[in-house]
Amino acid sequence: MIRVEDIQKHFGALHVLRGITFDVKKGEAIVIIGPSGSGKSTLLRCVNLLVEPDAGKVFIDGVHVNRHGIRHEWVRQQVGMVFQSFNLFTHLSAIENVTLGLTRVKGMPHDQAVEKARKLLARVGLAAKESAYPAELSGGQQQRVAIARALAMDPKAMLFDEPTSALDPEYIREVLDVMTALAREGMTMIVVTHEMGFASNVASRILFMDAGKIIEEGTAEDIFQRPKEDRTRSFVSKILR
Amino acid sequence: MGKVRKFLRERWRYFDAALALVVIVGSLVYIYDLLVGSRGLDVAYVSRNYSLYLHAVFTNVYATTIAFIVGMAIGFSVGWLRTARTVPLAKFAASMRVEKRERQENPTGSEEGRRFLVVLSLLWYGTKYVVRRIGDGFVEIIRGTPLYVQILFASSFFIIFLPQYVGEGILIGIIALAINTGGYQAEIFRAGLQTVHSGQIEAARAIGFSRLKAMRYVILPQALRLIIPPLTNEYIGLFKASTFLFVLGVQTEISYIAQHEGFAGDVFEIFAIVTVIFLAITVTLSFVVQALERRFRIPGLGIEQVKLPRGVWIGRVGG
Repeated sequence: MIRVEDIQKHFGALHVLRGITFDVKKGEAIVIIGPSGSGKSTLLRCVNLLVEPDAGKVFIDGVHVNRHGIRHEWVRQQVGMVFQSFNLFTHLSAIENVTLGLTRVKGMPHDQAVEKARKLLARVGLAAKESAYPAELSGGQQQRVAIARALAMDPKAMLFDEPTSALDPEYIREVLDVMTALAREGMTMIVVTHEMGFASNVASRILFMDAGKIIEEGTAEDIFQRPKEDRTRSFVSKILR
Repeated sequence: MGKVRKFLRERWRYFDAALALVVIVGSLVYIYDLLVGSRGLDVAYVSRNYSLYLHAVFTNVYATTIAFIVGMAIGFSVGWLRTARTVPLAKFAASMRVEKRERQENPTGSEEGRRFLVVLSLLWYGTKYVVRRIGDGFVEIIRGTPLYVQILFASSFFIIFLPQYVGEGILIGIIALAINTGGYQAEIFRAGLQTVHSGQIEAARAIGFSRLKAMRYVILPQALRLIIPPLTNEYIGLFKASTFLFVLGVQTEISYIAQHEGFAGDVFEIFAIVTVIFLAITVTLSFVVQALERRFRIPGLGIEQVKLPRGVWIGRVGG
């Protein structure tokens, strides 16, 4: 479904990604963990080309997407993304946030878009909040609207960039529940998170990244109980404590 | 009593506005009383001549409005150009890296085609770079020189290069004002565009918006709300600056003063008329803009106005 081959990325003198290769099959949920600054977010952004890799190939559904002649806008419609800081459009209500992409990118008629958005908001448990503005919603509610907004574009896969890190503890559960349900329905997902409970329950595989490389890869049990590498072991012991 | 309170609470906005008007008009009357107190205002002159000045001010209003709208187009374009974060040269280098990588991976394909591509992108990024520097220069020149000089410059330009239009003072004036306000509005727009959080752009791009569409549907609606106050300021400034058009032979109220009274005789009456007309227009405008701001307000965007909980009577706060 998603294949990344030997991705390299520099920001000026900083070598952020040093040859990343991995493969995500349809319906898999991959969790990426690793210390801050290890390049997790950059890697996610390389998948939907918000960041253009310097070298290496990105394939989505078998199509080599980071080459001349492929529109980035098209690529980004194939892969939904949810951000750490929600990034809901401040000037639009919850439902308008969901419909904007449908009407302005996909050219869907307004009524149809509203109908679809209502269904999606109901799915993330926010049917009652459709006319609220982002500032009037809690963090958890905002993040769920953001998930609905990404789902509205009918993506083939979803990317989550630390979706719960900016949330107050009492709101983390509701967002993780939505994500778990999504994974159970068979959505292909790549999730950067430090929620170990979520990783153990949902992840088909866990990738541990450090300093721009994938250090170790395995099931939740492998990574958390029997890490092979020293760096993995020390990181896991820090976050599990 | 409860009724009165309810009435006051609901209509407070109007009392507030009325109070502001009383202060403005009261100060004016007081100043004029100081100036002409001994001889009194020649009301007969005022009632005889006010329409003349009203007509002159109308010229200013429409010249200002056209210039302002054209200036918005200039200001937005230049302002947007100046917000470009990536240095075009770096982007060119990045694009060349992608090109080089593809050449290595896929050595088939014509060499000429690739050279053409390189030249084309060099031209594109080069042009963008130069245009951006021109934008920078434009803003610095406009705000670094007096408007009066700019208008004289525009007039000389027309005399030398387009003498057939020299009679059209108003046209020259509008062009000069539009370019001037364009330079100032460029900075207003730049500030507005940069205030919108970068996450908004990222989110828009992530659901497939092109740069242009993200600007149209996500950034501009937020930026425009934020820059309403400075744009109003700019309009009022331009409106007053439009009195300079008299140097082009445009019939503004200053030229009427010069022609009809030679800055003597009923000069206070003329000042009274002109002040009242200008204030009436600018004050009305600022009330209209305040209403607009309220109408388009969105919770969480910009600074919240102080909001008292429902049912709190101001006299009781803290009591």
